[in-house]
Amino acid sequence: MNLRVQVFVAVMLVAALLWIVNMVRKEALDIRFALSWLTVGAVVLVLDIFPGIMDNLVRLLGIELPVNMMFFFGFCFTLLLLFILTVKVSRQEEHIKRLVQEMALLQDAVCKEKGEALKENDE
Amino acid sequence: MRKLVIIPAYNEQGGIKKTVQDIQAHAPDFDYVVINDCSTDDTLAVCRKNGFHVINLPVNLGIGGSVQTGYLYAYANGYDVAVQFDGDGQHNAKYLDEMADRLAKEKLDMVIGSRYIKKEGFQSSGMRRAGIRYFSGLIRLVTGKRITDPTSGMRMAGRSVIALYAKNYPKDYPEPESVTVALKKGKRVGEVPVQMNARTEGISSISPRKSVYYMIKVSLAILIAAVRGERV
Repeated sequence: MNLRVQVFVAVMLVAALLWIVNMVRKEALDIRFALSWLTVGAVVLVLDIFPGIMDNLVRLLGIELPVNMMFFFGFCFTLLLLFILTVKVSRQEEHIKRLVQEMALLQDAVCKEKGEALKENDE
Repeated sequence: MRKLVIIPAYNEQGGIKKTVQDIQAHAPDFDYVVINDCSTDDTLAVCRKNGFHVINLPVNLGIGGSVQTGYLYAYANGYDVAVQFDGDGQHNAKYLDEMADRLAKEKLDMVIGSRYIKKEGFQSSGMRRAGIRYFSGLIRLVTGKRITDPTSGMRMAGRSVIALYAKNYPKDYPEPESVTVALKKGKRVGEVPVQMNARTEGISSISPRKSVYYMIKVSLAILIAAVRGERV
């Protein structure tokens, strides 16, 4: 890996990290969700600045090319994140369903009460 | 003894009036409530115009969420019996009293209106009957109980099953799965022979393309309900 690539990747990463932090600052992104992204960004940044770590890791795991390891871990991370998100969507769907049901029942109860109040006025 | 008919309705402007009038004429002991699942047609307007009791869902929840709203209503308002009844003219209200009698006399927790005891009336297509027999077999395998019509949408629940379904009900294609859950919880489920009509209004929610998803999803749901057993 030459210095040019290292600098290019570092600039991209810093920009991405700043973007994420800015989203959190503007309260557009929940900090709990930002944490995993910030962690990944930080780890890749460290690997970019110290390429020796990556060479050692690749040798340790018996993987032939460093780039293969990056793809592999990137893929695993993406799958994990997607799975966590589908779990969260399921839970939110359940929450929304409950809210809609409660709201509809409340509306019905209010209408009934109003109707009865009107009837009493008539009598 | 307070009894409620739950009528889930999604785009049933053509059939809803006949359905409610059928209940008023042939099952006068029953209260009813239409659950309008955010229909895009004039279902709500038809109900309002005729003065029908309707609970209006502000967003579309699908059949499971609609029916569950009915069970929540039944539970909150202290009904002893609640029965699901399609809004498209497939079900006949004249069987409701018989179902309620069965429920009370045999101290059952749930009674299903089955097309396949006497095998009279609309019997559905051959493919669908094969699917229904398959679910019947699968449910027997995991619960040991024989349910001849596990996909029937005409189901009457006593207080304990009302509470069960108010708390937990599958979101789509809920019938076979929810029967399995009830059986696994030790509820007593019986069946009463009924005749159903071919649908006159609306279209079936199960298109050929969706039937593959249906078979796989419901099979898996039944197996998971079996493994889950007493929990939940």
